[in-house]
Amino acid sequence: MSTTHHGEDRVPVPPSDAQQFTTVCSYCIVGCGYRVFKWPQGKEGGPRPHQNALHADFTKQQAERSGKWISPSMHSVVTERDGRRYHVVVLPDSDCVVNNGNHSIRGGTHGSVLYGPDRPTADRLSYPLMYRGGTQLPTTWEEAIELGAHVIKACVDTWGPDAIAMKFFDHGGGGGGFENNWAVGKFFFTGIGTQMASIHNRPAYNSEVFASGDAGVAALPAAYIDAELADTIVVIGANSYETQSIYFLEHMLPNLSGMTMAKKQRLLPGEPHQPGKMIIVDPRRTSTVAIAESAAGKNNVLHLQINNGTDIALLNALSRIVFEQGWQDQAFIANRTDNFDAFKAKNLTQDLDDAVHITGIAKDQLMKAAEWIAKPKTDTARRRAMVLYEKGLIWGLKNYENVASVVDLALLTGNLGKPGAGCGRLGGHQEGYSRPGYPGKRPPVNVDEVAIKGGASKVFWVGGCNPVGGTLNAQHFRLSIARRTALVNEALNQVTGATTQEKVTAILKAVEAGGLFLIVQDIYPIETAKHAHLVLPAAQWGEMNLTSINGERRLRLYQKFMDAPGVAEPDWKIMAMMAKKIESLYRAEGKIDMANRFAGFDWKTDEDVFRAAAVGVKDAQEDYGETTYAMLRTLGTNGVQTPVKEIANGSPVGTTRLYEEGGKFTFIPASWPGFPPQIQQLINDPRYPFWVNNGRANHGWQTLYDDLRKPYVIGREPLPYVEVHPRDAEILGISNGDLTELFNPYGTVTAMAVITDANRPGHVFMLFEHPRGWLNSLTTDYVDPATTIPYYKGTKAGIRKVGELPGITDTLTFVPTNRV
Amino acid sequence: MSDLSRRNLFKLGAGIVGGACAASALAQVEQPAEAEARSTLATTLPYPRTKLANLKELSTGKDLLRTYPDKFSPIGLLKLGRRAVNGVGPDQDIVAFSRYCPHMGGTLSYQSETGAYHCPLHYAMFDAAKGGLIVIGQATDNLPQLELEVDAKGDIYAVGVKGLIYGRQANVLA
Repeated sequence: MSTTHHGEDRVPVPPSDAQQFTTVCSYCIVGCGYRVFKWPQGKEGGPRPHQNALHADFTKQQAERSGKWISPSMHSVVTERDGRRYHVVVLPDSDCVVNNGNHSIRGGTHGSVLYGPDRPTADRLSYPLMYRGGTQLPTTWEEAIELGAHVIKACVDTWGPDAIAMKFFDHGGGGGGFENNWAVGKFFFTGIGTQMASIHNRPAYNSEVFASGDAGVAALPAAYIDAELADTIVVIGANSYETQSIYFLEHMLPNLSGMTMAKKQRLLPGEPHQPGKMIIVDPRRTSTVAIAESAAGKNNVLHLQINNGTDIALLNALSRIVFEQGWQDQAFIANRTDNFDAFKAKNLTQDLDDAVHITGIAKDQLMKAAEWIAKPKTDTARRRAMVLYEKGLIWGLKNYENVASVVDLALLTGNLGKPGAGCGRLGGHQEGYSRPGYPGKRPPVNVDEVAIKGGASKVFWVGGCNPVGGTLNAQHFRLSIARRTALVNEALNQVTGATTQEKVTAILKAVEAGGLFLIVQDIYPIETAKHAHLVLPAAQWGEMNLTSINGERRLRLYQKFMDAPGVAEPDWKIMAMMAKKIESLYRAEGKIDMANRFAGFDWKTDEDVFRAAAVGVKDAQEDYGETTYAMLRTLGTNGVQTPVKEIANGSPVGTTRLYEEGGKFTFIPASWPGFPPQIQQLINDPRYPFWVNNGRANHGWQTLYDDLRKPYVIGREPLPYVEVHPRDAEILGISNGDLTELFNPYGTVTAMAVITDANRPGHVFMLFEHPRGWLNSLTTDYVDPATTIPYYKGTKAGIRKVGELPGITDTLTFVPTNRV
Repeated sequence: MSDLSRRNLFKLGAGIVGGACAASALAQVEQPAEAEARSTLATTLPYPRTKLANLKELSTGKDLLRTYPDKFSPIGLLKLGRRAVNGVGPDQDIVAFSRYCPHMGGTLSYQSETGAYHCPLHYAMFDAAKGGLIVIGQATDNLPQLELEVDAKGDIYAVGVKGLIYGRQANVLA
């Protein structure tokens, strides 16, 4: 029964003359710095310091945290387009102030997923595919773009711009960045002009923090050093050890364990300091809770085990206690905010007994939390609190008021624009957003419902995401995609050997009759791509130059260090190919106005697009002004924190934290609205007794697109899992590893049971996105009507045992992850 | 790629991974017949054969602290009291692991309450009954596991290590 993965027992070391590059992790918001070494196969550095590029002595055992150890997952052999093979090592950078040489399981395994025709990444998309002969067959860029351009143009001409729907990445890091985002936005907004646009993980084109924006607070106002200086860190709806791992380990934990005391005294003299405290708001006792307690002592960590969907009641109760105790920052409120009275009338009338009842959190815990956030340290020294939140809040019951209530608490306590404070997102992806304005209104149209299920759009272009499992109410979405794309398949099956024009005619007839022409642009043959008529192969991180910012707005250049497979191209180039083709079709027809909308895609380099995108971030938290690639190359993995104020002596001057020099803010009134009808119906129905919370886990990144190709990672979770409380497990008759079915009127999914007391009885937690079982088959179609953001984090389901898969589960671990 | 890991890759393709994408990609790499023929000890490194202890010295749930393949590499030898992945001995419950965390080299300790090796640096955990499978943590590989043999006298020998020990280019130092 031995199947546990172990890597090689030897790795090659880079020789002294290996090529070197700097880059940043392609995955989470934290953006750890990495160094890349590349050298020809057949060559190897020696073990002595003068014989290798790390100047390390590999004849000896290295000390812990040496920063010079290459694990097997950090190395691979890649094949370039000319057939030459190279060793590549992707090593965490000890000189990067974000990670200090540390790395997560996700970033530390980048070496495993570089493209190789002889490795698990062999299934990377390396040429376009077109639906033909009842299947998807290889084709050229010319033919793929020719068909796509004709279909798009014909649909726009016949039905208008909203006939074209899209769901695309909007983020930084792998697959995104300012370059690719700008090109995507320019194509769909300036070119097509469609409102039927949606962002990779949601049904519409929206900010996830509209309320924070309305309050005047950017999403990422603080710096990571603030977590080292704070008196109290409040983490709401995030499991930071697993989802912002290195921010948590390198900046929060040192504060909790007292290791930043000297820094606090040096940088913030004249006030008393203690090791930091942490408040964690989460329905689940996560690894983050257990580790924080271990580092800080149980007395310095407060886990508020909140009932699903009740954050607004909690946050308003905290605001009320703060106000009743007189702990608010009166000077800040007076000088830098408005709309306090409306906030007072709505938020501060939250009844405390009701709050206890709604949230499930005892009053003494509410009191303690309010104290840790706002009780002044002395008559003259206010407490410094960082109030940080992520998807548990953003994707909670009601997005707008959820975010409003946390921003209000930060405004009430004056926790913005000063060291050790801040109110913002912990973040998921990195950021790299720059686009022309979205042509739709606010609240934005629900594209899943109107364009796809509702049939309003005829073409759907999906880029860098996997919505057949990743979107809300996914089972219905998936079935709608399958049904509508099949109509186009049938039309194409009738026209063997057809010219492009004949195909376009057939496709147009099919989409008029309810069909959907699907284009999927990705790096892998993902589940959504199985339904596509055109599959377009994109370049990945490391295969183009790109730029992004991390959770403290740190802008860096992610250097290209290898070729993309086959004829795969960066997303910006694919958008440019399509735009130029459509432009030429309109020009040939003499429709100059339409042609001009698709003009201006003549970029030659990645940097050309980076410079073009600067206009889209003007005056935003991402504003990088006149920064160039050459400047960023010099700044390496530390880069510069945006907004860039000026270029001085050829180098950009950045901003450590926002609002230190001013800024006016607005309280946004918010009160707990109760559950929407879809959820209330499930609550009232005894067939669906379990609350289903969900989230990511440490080992995997998002839809596991890379992780499926990392034997080590997917060996840890080959199937999605659902955490069930021992008491519920007994009633259901299930044990560790049993396959269970979760079901409700919206859909059904199977998952492997993990028995743990991390959740309260009656509450389960399922892995959010796993291609072998999509949690979102269970989420309802409810979105916050104010923002069109779903309530992903809360649904209800019934659970039954399906059976056992001993050959799979015997080698898996069921040790609870929230132990230390 | 060492022979040792070729074998493991093959086994993953056939067993744990099991999924369409990963398994099909792996299948192109490895011919089953070829991979199966490889010995579990196939490696390019000259591992020593080192006696760690006798069966009589082991007590269930407590690890003996030893070193292997040299004195700079601490390992734990453990009788779990239940069948373990790659376990040896009469009850197939004896396993041994590197005690350097394959994240950043923290020195691990075994906790019988969890049945896992725990790292004090960044809180990684590895399941001793499951071949050192990561429970949670930031390591980029499962915990390196020793290849063990038990002779007729009950002497337990270490003969190799699967996975790269933290802080080394190769498990056997140059």
